[in-house]
Amino acid sequence: MHIKIDIRKTLRSGDRQFQLQVRLESDSQRLVVFGPSGAGKSQMLKAVAGLMTPDEGRIELSSRCLFDSAGGINVPAQQREVGYLFQDYALFPHLNVRQNISFGLERGWFNPSAKADGESLRYWLDAFGLDAVSHQLPHQLSGGQRQRVALARALIAYPRALLLDEPFAALDPALRERMRAELDALQRKLNIPMILITHDPDDVAAFGEHVLRMEEGMIASVQ
Amino acid sequence: MRNKFMAFLALAAMGSAQAAEVTVSAAASLTNAFKEIGAAFEKEHAGDKVLFNFAASDPLVQQIAKGAPVDVFASADQDAMDKADGMKLLQPGTRKNFASNSLVLIAPQGGKAPLKAVPDVANAAVARITLGNPASVPVGRYTKAALEHAKLWAAVEPKAIYGTSVRQCLDYVARGEVDAGFVYATDVAIVKDKVNVVATVPTETPVTYPIAVIAAGPQAALGRQFADYVHSPAGQAILAKYGFGRP
Amino acid sequence: MDSVLFEPAWVALRLSLKVAAWATALDLLLGVALGYLLARKRFPGRELLDAIMTLPMVMPPTVLGYYLLVLIGRNGWLGSWLQKSFGINLIFTWQAAVIASAVVAFPLVLKGARAAFESVDQQLEQAARVLGVSGFGIFLRVTLPLAWRGVLGGTLLAFARAMGEFGATLMVAGSIPGKTQTLSIAVYEAVQAGQDDHANLLVIITSVTCIVVLVLANKLTPNRNQIQ
Repeated sequence: MHIKIDIRKTLRSGDRQFQLQVRLESDSQRLVVFGPSGAGKSQMLKAVAGLMTPDEGRIELSSRCLFDSAGGINVPAQQREVGYLFQDYALFPHLNVRQNISFGLERGWFNPSAKADGESLRYWLDAFGLDAVSHQLPHQLSGGQRQRVALARALIAYPRALLLDEPFAALDPALRERMRAELDALQRKLNIPMILITHDPDDVAAFGEHVLRMEEGMIASVQ
Repeated sequence: MRNKFMAFLALAAMGSAQAAEVTVSAAASLTNAFKEIGAAFEKEHAGDKVLFNFAASDPLVQQIAKGAPVDVFASADQDAMDKADGMKLLQPGTRKNFASNSLVLIAPQGGKAPLKAVPDVANAAVARITLGNPASVPVGRYTKAALEHAKLWAAVEPKAIYGTSVRQCLDYVARGEVDAGFVYATDVAIVKDKVNVVATVPTETPVTYPIAVIAAGPQAALGRQFADYVHSPAGQAILAKYGFGRP
Repeated sequence: MDSVLFEPAWVALRLSLKVAAWATALDLLLGVALGYLLARKRFPGRELLDAIMTLPMVMPPTVLGYYLLVLIGRNGWLGSWLQKSFGINLIFTWQAAVIASAVVAFPLVLKGARAAFESVDQQLEQAARVLGVSGFGIFLRVTLPLAWRGVLGGTLLAFARAMGEFGATLMVAGSIPGKTQTLSIAVYEAVQAGQDDHANLLVIITSVTCIVVLVLANKLTPNRNQIQ
């Protein structure tokens, strides 16, 4: 995957201001952006996903231009074909595991039925060992199960890239090791490009093929 | 000691002559005339105040029957006063007619409906006619009786828009929301630039207004004085000024 | 109680239900749309708009009735246009009663809807966007299912308010039995005419209807044991 980001955005909250200025380029399949909380990592990731519109700049992913303020291009999030893993997973609380995972396969006005079925769905339920809990609602699942559901949901439609926002922060430390290993194996198997943002050095160690530091809205150095 | 006693008596006397409030419930059509009568009465009785309550006559009777502290009641027909009498609300010997009125058919100024005389209300082009609700408003009763006598009630009833008081009927016509309305001749003066009188409607019974003192009223004495004032030449002159006839 | 009284009472009840149902349906459509807009979009004057839309809740119904009368009456700004273009006169029609009730009850739906939508985690809507679902689809599949209880609560309150509407309705729709004489107006007329028996029957019918609506409201909006 080739990713090129050059964006600027001023974020306002009350009378405080935050300047986001990101310039990066990478050819790696595993890009990690590392930095303390409040550095602006989430905002950057949201910009790539199309959930935040920069004031100006350009975003290119796999030679596809997703955003270009000068050229008036802003591909809607719906069409960017990326998978996004939120820090708290953002599972739909009113839908069961089957419906959550296959959510993105239905593009219309109706949710998949509670008894949803299909080849891809079966594959992912099996791959993540979720068959037993497939009819349960998110609040009935464990932390690890929720993360797997969120991952399956993001991956089921063959996204071009996977964006992960502090994917292990919500898990307890014992579980983190295991989930890191799982994600590691999964990414290698699928060979899907991955951008992971984190403040945890252990994540950097596990996934950092190309690591960038971000601080106070700016990409500072390259390791 | 004697001086102190005299001072006390003087104070007591002043106390009984202190400002009193007399409450008068009167039919809606009396609004303007009675307000002026009230002001004149207050001038003659320094310190006393007249409180008015204007509405359709029947609801006023209901309020009194349910305990409203009213001293004097003036209604727009004998029917309402009979109701009050039947419920033993009146002080005996105080009921007396004090004015008369006439019923008129009116139309909005600039109205397009073909109205030249009372029988025209049966015309289909006169789509909406307002009158008082016969169940609770005297002017509605006068109207219904008159129309029944003229064999026009069957044609008018389906088109009837009932008003809760004669003044509401007047308002409907003044706004042009209806094509015709039945009100008192004295009401027309209030909005004479917005309505036209089409004709005077002969009524089955004469339109007479009785007034009476309420037996249980808190200010019975002052109430009697007010009723007497209405009958007096001064009161009668004010009523005449507003177009009311002799009782 | 006279059996002759039942017929006009049922007529008034049916009319009240019809007017309240239409008014609530209108409010639901507009309230949900505006509630969503106020909950999600930032724009200058947003809170001012919210305040203006909430005004009918604090204004005396007679004042509202007067404004409506001036607006849709034959000589009114909107009314004269309707008269000229379509020959329609709204005053003294059941449609005017619907308009009066809808205006009066609207803030209840709006407040309920806005609060309900604001309580839906926007991250869920973002997740749905990234997964490829369009705006309206997200509203139907994510936002509304998570907000429906709050919306319903506001809607039921609006229905009850519409059933009880009196002041504004009387001004623009008048009191025509069978056409615009709703239950609350019928009670008023009965009392005015001293027909206590009739008034008692109407009051009982109205009270029973309100209780049924409240019981339904409680059943349909169960408390806290919901999905988080």
